[in-house]
Amino acid sequence: MEQEYLTYKESARRSMHALLANFDDTILLGQGVSDPIGIFGTTLGLIKEFGSDRVFEMPIAEESMAGIAIGLSLNGFYPIQTHIRADFMLLSLNQLINSAAKYRYMYGGMYEVPMLIRAVIGRSWGQGPQHSQSIQSTLSHFPGLTVIMPSSAQQLEAAYLEAREKRRGPVISLEHRLLYDYSFNIRDRNPAGPTVARYGTDVTIVATSIMVIEALRAAEWVFKHHQISCEVIDLHRITNIDIEIVIDSLKKTSLVIIADTGYREFGVAAELVRLIVEQGFSLLGKPPEIVTPPHCPTPTSHALEQFFYPTWGLIVEKIYKLLIPKFDVTTYAMPSRSTVAESYLQFKGPF
Amino acid sequence: MTLKIINMSDRYENLFRSTLRIRRIEERIASIYASDRIQSPIHLSIGQEAVSVGVCAELSKEDLAFGTYRGHALYLAKGGDLRLMMAELFGKVTGFAKGKAGSMHLADSAVGVMGCSAIVGSTIPHATGAGLAAKIAGNDQVVAVFFGESATNQGVFHECLNFATLHRLPVLFVCEDNQMAIHTLNADITGYSLRELVSAYSIKYAAVENGMDFIHIANRAQSSITRIRRGEGPEFLHVHTCRYVQHVGPGTDVGFGVRSEALINKWMAKDPLYLADDLVKKFISEINAEIDEAIDFADSSEFPGASQLLEDIS
Repeated sequence: MEQEYLTYKESARRSMHALLANFDDTILLGQGVSDPIGIFGTTLGLIKEFGSDRVFEMPIAEESMAGIAIGLSLNGFYPIQTHIRADFMLLSLNQLINSAAKYRYMYGGMYEVPMLIRAVIGRSWGQGPQHSQSIQSTLSHFPGLTVIMPSSAQQLEAAYLEAREKRRGPVISLEHRLLYDYSFNIRDRNPAGPTVARYGTDVTIVATSIMVIEALRAAEWVFKHHQISCEVIDLHRITNIDIEIVIDSLKKTSLVIIADTGYREFGVAAELVRLIVEQGFSLLGKPPEIVTPPHCPTPTSHALEQFFYPTWGLIVEKIYKLLIPKFDVTTYAMPSRSTVAESYLQFKGPF
Repeated sequence: MTLKIINMSDRYENLFRSTLRIRRIEERIASIYASDRIQSPIHLSIGQEAVSVGVCAELSKEDLAFGTYRGHALYLAKGGDLRLMMAELFGKVTGFAKGKAGSMHLADSAVGVMGCSAIVGSTIPHATGAGLAAKIAGNDQVVAVFFGESATNQGVFHECLNFATLHRLPVLFVCEDNQMAIHTLNADITGYSLRELVSAYSIKYAAVENGMDFIHIANRAQSSITRIRRGEGPEFLHVHTCRYVQHVGPGTDVGFGVRSEALINKWMAKDPLYLADDLVKKFISEINAEIDEAIDFADSSEFPGASQLLEDIS
């Protein structure tokens, strides 16, 4: 098979470039879009190529930025907003929820405000309680917004083009900081939207964002050690969840693990459990297992971080719990939390 | 010279008629409110109509306007369709938003009424963004945004003044200063001078003390809009006015202990609509017939059906 590797970060830049180059009405705006960091490299050089009328450096004023994007959209342009931390987007929720999400509905279809908002989930390296939050369920609660979490370079590029070409309202994409430096073979498969990332028959793992990578690692581990066959579903779209792909998988496996970067309380996992219970209750061999952070703010110290963030080792434990209940994880060389943390130690900050 | 005088007189009569028309429409809305055909809150502009009339007289159809939940006057002055508005207020499917907007969210894309929000101050950035769009597009469009004096307490107002002045955006900020934040005197909650604040952002500021004087407002707006259209950046028009009615609903707030009847009477004494019976007589039957027709249209229209509940979401 042909190979062409691209990092998540490179795909984001390629996508931004393509949208600016191919659609004259695209405007990129955000804090840092023209600075030397360029949203972790994803907007570097764009202001030079497309000019300061297409790429706008924005004041540190998130509510107005979201509102200005609404005005741009209403008056003929397609804005792409960036937030280097999703936490900062919380300041613009008034505009996003009270206006953008409702513009089409409230005016009976007279107006539409298509736009793309990119926000980075900052988990990496001591980012603490205000630089690392996964706010997908908060955003998804309100009708009118489309929320996606691209888990790969391919997903990101396909999703942004789809948002530009087909979506009539605001699309919010949560990009995970730790995905940025991962390389993906973009010829490997061409997923777009909710997709089966790995086929299997014993247990279904539904995952979001970087938890897709974690789930794939866990699947590899349990296959290697115990020939357990996991089916990994990349949920991708948090709003209007593709529950059919989950139900179809459950028909094969009857067991499900849900792995999300956000809290389980009122979260994506809770919503998935609702949908599964409503639409596939009789398919469930055992209660669903959930892998999410505990319901506490993100701690900063790495000593606590390693117990906060869910990792593939936890998914492995859940797989054993469902499939080999008598398996004693304490006597087996499990992927420990500290070894998992090692894999992120390559990250050297500062942000 | 004679021609000019006639033109001036026509202009006065046009603006008078426009103001009178909005007044009568809202008075009619108030008078039928008890019939429960309008089953949602109404925020009347009665007393403040001249602000919208004066400014919109100087805007072209291609210019855009954003407003607030107190939006009847703006919608009508900008040329919004009365029948579609009345049907919307009645919750009918023939309303401009098929009954999903109601009185607080008026819009008419045919004449550039881009939306009215029930969240105080929240359309200010929409107008700023629309102004940015006009600037990027390189056309001579002007965007006007109407808001009350208490909306200037919102952080987003300050954010937008900064952005608009930085990029010299073609935005006219129109502050309808009725001194009241719901039932609180704005003076009790505001610690700055609007003139000084706006000037600090290097935005040209003009005040109109008599917000009943639609000609004066139009003249001020005309000067500002001409400069804005030439690319000279945003401007701010601060119009002192008075809503005769209470914040929401058809009644009065006199007797609530905040505003006196004398204050309202002082404004009414300057109100051209109470001072020119001949002009009222000249226009009133035509206006009343138009309102009757719009109410008939609303009354005879259908309500939206359940199948429309989930339309136009995302």
